[in-house]
Amino acid sequence: MNVIINIARTTIGEAIRRRVLLVILLIGVLFVAIAPGLSVLSARQELTVLKSLTLGIIQLTSAVIAIVLTVYLIPNEIERRTIYTILSKPVRRWQFLIGKYLGAIGALGLMMTLMTVTLVVVFWVMKPQETTVTVLRELTLGPLMFYVQMCLLAAVSVFFSTFTQPIVNFFLSGGTYLVGSLFSSVLKTISENKDLPLAFKAVAIFIQNALPNFEYFNIQNPLINPGQQIQNEGLHYLNLAFYAVAYITALLVGGILIFDKREV
Amino acid sequence: MSLAIETKKLTKSYKTKGGGRLDVVKELDLQVEAGEIYGFLGPNGAGKTTTIKMLLGIIEATDGEALVLGKEAGDIEVHRELSYLPEKPYYYEHMTGLEIMEFYSSLFGKRDTEKCKALLERVNLANDMNRTINQYSKGMQQRVGLAQSLLNDPKLLFLDEPTGGLDPIAHIEVRDLILEFREEGKTVFISSHELSDVERICDRVAIINKGEIVQQGKLDVLLAGSRVELTADSVPAGIADGFKAMEDTTVSFKQGRLIMDMPDSSETNGILDAIRTAGGTIISFVPRRARLEDLFLESVSADNKVKGRKMGRMTIKDLEAEEAPLEEVKE
Repeated sequence: MNVIINIARTTIGEAIRRRVLLVILLIGVLFVAIAPGLSVLSARQELTVLKSLTLGIIQLTSAVIAIVLTVYLIPNEIERRTIYTILSKPVRRWQFLIGKYLGAIGALGLMMTLMTVTLVVVFWVMKPQETTVTVLRELTLGPLMFYVQMCLLAAVSVFFSTFTQPIVNFFLSGGTYLVGSLFSSVLKTISENKDLPLAFKAVAIFIQNALPNFEYFNIQNPLINPGQQIQNEGLHYLNLAFYAVAYITALLVGGILIFDKREV
Repeated sequence: MSLAIETKKLTKSYKTKGGGRLDVVKELDLQVEAGEIYGFLGPNGAGKTTTIKMLLGIIEATDGEALVLGKEAGDIEVHRELSYLPEKPYYYEHMTGLEIMEFYSSLFGKRDTEKCKALLERVNLANDMNRTINQYSKGMQQRVGLAQSLLNDPKLLFLDEPTGGLDPIAHIEVRDLILEFREEGKTVFISSHELSDVERICDRVAIINKGEIVQQGKLDVLLAGSRVELTADSVPAGIADGFKAMEDTTVSFKQGRLIMDMPDSSETNGILDAIRTAGGTIISFVPRRARLEDLFLESVSADNKVKGRKMGRMTIKDLEAEEAPLEEVKE
């Protein structure tokens, strides 16, 4: 465990100093900070749109950071030969891979915390009247669920990085995220349509089940729209956490099995 | 003497794009004795780094056996007793020399800061241990590499081009450190292109070319002279002129001093007698030790010639053709 923690710590240290990630983070923080100035709607609409806009910025920025951070996680270690020095110590490959993954999600957590803190401060300063305890809860719960979503995305990317080049991985992970975020409802509709050919529906069902559904973690609608309520919130979030952990475990185990046999 | 490394018919093969099979390392038989400095030489693409990676268990052999410190190569427990310094190592640039050491120390299960400091002092980095790696020169980075390779007080060290690209002072420092390792009883396995270093510090060497050993043995034996150098004074010019006609012999003659470089053959005694009889005085008669560079070029060139390759060093095209493989063969 000590070995994994130390690899993770080093990975965090390196990730939070990568300029490209810091630039993306800075852009995200800036957009969150200036978002209130962009709104020209009525007070009620403004709060709803502002929450939606800022949470959307955090989600998008985090997804880009997660992919850029993780696609180079393993290839960089091989290219720079650091992996040889590490693996010549009493370190197993699975420990190395898990350490790198934990480091990546640790760095991601720090960056998302910064964006969330910025979000809360912006609301506190710009909308002091409307920033109630309920709104604060929403502003922290949203990014927290996005963080779980990003941990899942990072696992997808780490899995692909065990056997693909970074550029291919970028499109594979990005594609998986897009399909899992935007097309899950489309796939569901296709799979339930009785008029479509069976083969077509089978493909839709396969994609729907094989790819993680990132949309589950997007809880903007119930947060933003007071009309929508999640019944039994505790159970709902527990289910989501279980869903994410199951997928992450499967992806990391798959990645370990591939990486264990890979020539480095 | 026990063996630190032993390989039997160790082979690593890849499938080529054309569907053929390329043996990057072919039936390698190595015996490295404990406590010696062993030089592993060969041109680029000869299979040196692949061999080291197999010995470390970083890649799997296609065939054959490899024992490292008496256990199967790749056994994680063996990694507690060996260390590896790769060619042109990279370290996380945001970390200081001390932090790098602490990180590698922690990979053995315990972060030992005092030991890290002591090792950095040993490689003359005591005053720079709190500077970040990106402020280090190449030589300093190499010394950090050597320091990290000593963290577990290893019995066996694999050093891949340990003096490559260093300035003369750093070069000498690293070379001296390696000699200290031998004094401490460690076994050192060096892959290097710096033949002068290998000649100075290694006990035994193996020369590998295209995945196969072409020379292996004690350096003293391999370089032992099959030629002799003779120096004599007061030699009559007529006698000296007579020697010039001899085959494979270099004769230099000036004002009665004769210097000859010739094969150590049955004719040697006759030459000495002829000089003495003519009134000359033998000043010295010494076997001439070959240079490792000559042995290396001779071994690699001869091997290439036998296999229908051009003499001398391989061209970039040759190397690219060899390094192009690339699918592992599983057996």
